[in-house]
Amino acid sequence: MASVNTDSGDSLELNLMPMLDIFSILITFLLMSYSTDPVSYDVNAGVTLPESMTTVTLDELPSIKVTKSEILVNDKKVATVIGGDVPEKDRAQGAIMPVFKELEKLAEANKRALRARVAERDKSKIFALTMEMDRSHTFKLMKRIMLSAQQAEFITFKLMVAREGE
Amino acid sequence: MAGGKKKKKKLGYRDISLNIMPFIDVFSLLNTFLLMSAVFLSVGIIEVQIPFLTSAPPDKKQDDKSCSVKIDMSKETFEVTADNCGVETSKKFRPDKAGADEMHAHLVNIRKQNLDTDKVQFFTEDDVIWKDVAMALDAIKLRGPKDPVFVKKDATDAERAVGSDALFPKVVMASVILK
Repeated sequence: MASVNTDSGDSLELNLMPMLDIFSILITFLLMSYSTDPVSYDVNAGVTLPESMTTVTLDELPSIKVTKSEILVNDKKVATVIGGDVPEKDRAQGAIMPVFKELEKLAEANKRALRARVAERDKSKIFALTMEMDRSHTFKLMKRIMLSAQQAEFITFKLMVAREGE
Repeated sequence: MAGGKKKKKKLGYRDISLNIMPFIDVFSLLNTFLLMSAVFLSVGIIEVQIPFLTSAPPDKKQDDKSCSVKIDMSKETFEVTADNCGVETSKKFRPDKAGADEMHAHLVNIRKQNLDTDKVQFFTEDDVIWKDVAMALDAIKLRGPKDPVFVKKDATDAERAVGSDALFPKVVMASVILK
């Protein structure tokens, strides 16, 4: 109980116990829901992830983000999405040319950085891409992005989902 | 300095009060830290592969008589085609949650009889939305709490670790290279 004396000699008292109760409950809730995932990531505002029961946690930040209206590679906007697909001018043999070009640069950088340290059998681990995609997009767009990535030698995809029951 | 003895005042019950201000300070700081660092949406991943061209020799273990599982997904149906797996060759399911559960049970049955088959080829129509693809991938990849653990006979430690969580750990998005 915190108290203070007034000029008139009265003592005013503030009951802090309810505040302590609230704090205790809030802290208990926050500690219980505290995430120990290796990577803490806030999903892009323009993206709603599909739900999944997967237990595999996110281990790296996404390289490709596909919002409702644009495609970003390493946070750089490379293509626009109109009506669930990319414009005709950006397409080439089913792939998305600007996405391929950006991923090719990324693949080159990965190769230079890891060439000396990684065995051939671990190649698929280097050439893995994490992709964040809005759940309303069709497989057609996902296929175009995957095809672009395949041409840049990325063969493994880590598709981001919202974990159910967490 | 009068030298007189100071008479000790005996403390009564009402004179004792607990200073809870430091307690509140600690709580406030802890609260702020936890609220700032809290992640309210837990993000997970589903790992898939896409087909690629390689000059490496084909896997000796795989021959024409080994079990191969293909799944075709469209807006109307899931179709599981299992060749040489000792089960019904082709089976169709509804493309909803109940259908996905039934397909999962069928895949568990296939895996039980073919422990060495850990790969599924997944074909998807262009108009299927990612939300439904994720639902299908869950049914294909994830081992349910009541399902047995599937591990290949000659599995490495890494494969054993993955196998404990997965029904079919390797999913190849085969339709990516189809026009």
